[in-house]
Amino acid sequence: MKKKYIFWVIIALAAVTIPLFSGPYQMSVLRTVLTYAALAVSWDMLIRSGQLSFGIAGFFGLGTYISAMCSIYLNMPGIPAIIIGGIITCLIAMALGTIILRLRGMYFAITTLALGEIFRIIIRNGGEFTGGPEGLIIKKLVFDGGTIPTYYLALGILLVAVGASIYFQKSRFHLALTTIRNNERVAMTSGINIYKTLIIVFGITAGIQALAGASFAQMYGFVTPESSFSGDYTLLPLAMSLLGGMYGTWGPVVGAFLLGILSEYLKLYIPYGHLIIYGIIIVFVILVMPQGILGLLKKKFRKEAV
Amino acid sequence: MDSRKKALLAIIAAVAVVTVILLLWKPTVLIFGVQRAGLYAAVALPMALILGIVHIVNLAHGEMMILSAYITYAVARALGVDPFLVMIPTAAVMFIVGAILYRVTIKHAIEAPELNQLILTFGLAMVISQGINMVATSQPRKLSLDYVTASLTIGDISFGVYDFIFVALALVMLLGLTFFLKKTTMGKAALAVGVNPRGAAIVGINVHKTYMLVFAASAAMLGILGTFFLTKMSLFPTAGGAFTMKSFCLVAMAGIGNLPTILLAALALGVAEAFIGSFAGMGSWTHIVFFAMIIAVILGRSFRGKSL
Repeated sequence: MKKKYIFWVIIALAAVTIPLFSGPYQMSVLRTVLTYAALAVSWDMLIRSGQLSFGIAGFFGLGTYISAMCSIYLNMPGIPAIIIGGIITCLIAMALGTIILRLRGMYFAITTLALGEIFRIIIRNGGEFTGGPEGLIIKKLVFDGGTIPTYYLALGILLVAVGASIYFQKSRFHLALTTIRNNERVAMTSGINIYKTLIIVFGITAGIQALAGASFAQMYGFVTPESSFSGDYTLLPLAMSLLGGMYGTWGPVVGAFLLGILSEYLKLYIPYGHLIIYGIIIVFVILVMPQGILGLLKKKFRKEAV
Repeated sequence: MDSRKKALLAIIAAVAVVTVILLLWKPTVLIFGVQRAGLYAAVALPMALILGIVHIVNLAHGEMMILSAYITYAVARALGVDPFLVMIPTAAVMFIVGAILYRVTIKHAIEAPELNQLILTFGLAMVISQGINMVATSQPRKLSLDYVTASLTIGDISFGVYDFIFVALALVMLLGLTFFLKKTTMGKAALAVGVNPRGAAIVGINVHKTYMLVFAASAAMLGILGTFFLTKMSLFPTAGGAFTMKSFCLVAMAGIGNLPTILLAALALGVAEAFIGSFAGMGSWTHIVFFAMIIAVILGRSFRGKSL
């Protein structure tokens, strides 16, 4: 028990003090990795209820645009704009959820896959207000674009995601979600309001994805339909969660760190289509080790303990 | 039975009313709509076949069509021949690709939970589209053929004739599939596997072989379709995603295992898209129509108390 405690203290210290001994390039890589980790954790939170969402890119993009518009039209500073982006997207997701959460399995998955495309088309055709195909530019970056404060911002968003994820694992929600995943009829007879529970989880995960998107928009200062709603934001977090291990908080985080750092190297060596690696990882993990890396490690340790 | 007849009558009446209104108001919408519908139906049919028999949503569906279009493009360009000469070899190649994809990946996920299957085919879609991106780069490709621009003028409206080839293709595919499933031993076996794999196995049908055949045959159909697609549209690596979603939308609208209704669903989607696109400046909104339709279908079904 004590060993575990020390381990977490070391991780926390490392996360907080890393800016002291690394350069701007490493910081910006880490910032991206932290954001992807938040996306991966939020995706995993929803899959724990048995609902597979391909809509990460859609809510991410919605977050970028809402926060950008808050900054441009309402002259809001960076942090409030990010929070508003998260809250509004959460509400939009809940409203959409009242319709699409009637669906299960493949119907739900493909409808969420379409969501990203739909948001992109709406924004693209929104005219002056949404900036159309050219997108929008935020004049004043959050913290003036400094790498160290924005690193802490990304860390903060990951902490929000991890906090929410742990809350959903430790509270009664965990039991409700697991029961819904395993057998909806049992969940219903146990008095769980499936529809309401799913809408809450869907809204919160979409909100976290939008927070990540909004922070991206405020860090880089621009949003365009193609970059904000890019399918990468669905593909990468999915591959990260799977590789690290689904149905837990730390699997996606571990996966995000492994793949996020790997992707920096891949980008250099394969300029076109380096994303094929993520596709291969998804296929490989599903077929060969569906429990992911953390799952494998846990199994091994348990065996050694016995 | 009575309510089904009523529903059928209502659909026929609605179609007739819409047709008359469009004929008088915007005749071109009808023509373009039917042409689009042909393409959509032709793409959706192989997906419906896989969904009905193997019970797997192939999210790499559109990507496989684009892959075959790229294969035809590369060979036709290299040899300097008409793409239709390469069509049958492409279909053969796609048949093998489909069989290999099934053998190496899908087969091992047949017993897995539905979520794993969806993630798996999503991964395959990414591998295919990014593989194309890696080999052919993201630059759009198009063949310029002189016969595709043939047009016809009736009264004061003129329109391209070539696109009707998609309608013919969809009809041929539907007839061929129906013949295969109803009249041939292999097709009957495939239907049996689709209805009850365990029962089919008990009476001596090789279930996995049937699945592999169905998957490969669908891939071959996409191979033929890819060639037709190439003659009219421009290619880029991510062009397939929209077709996967639209195909699924049509299959969901028609109901799984209901092949002829797909033509009707495709007609509705095609005409609705052409209608939206016929207004000035609305062209880019057309791709939202299918989403509205899928939501409408969902709501309709959930209010009737049927679970999807």
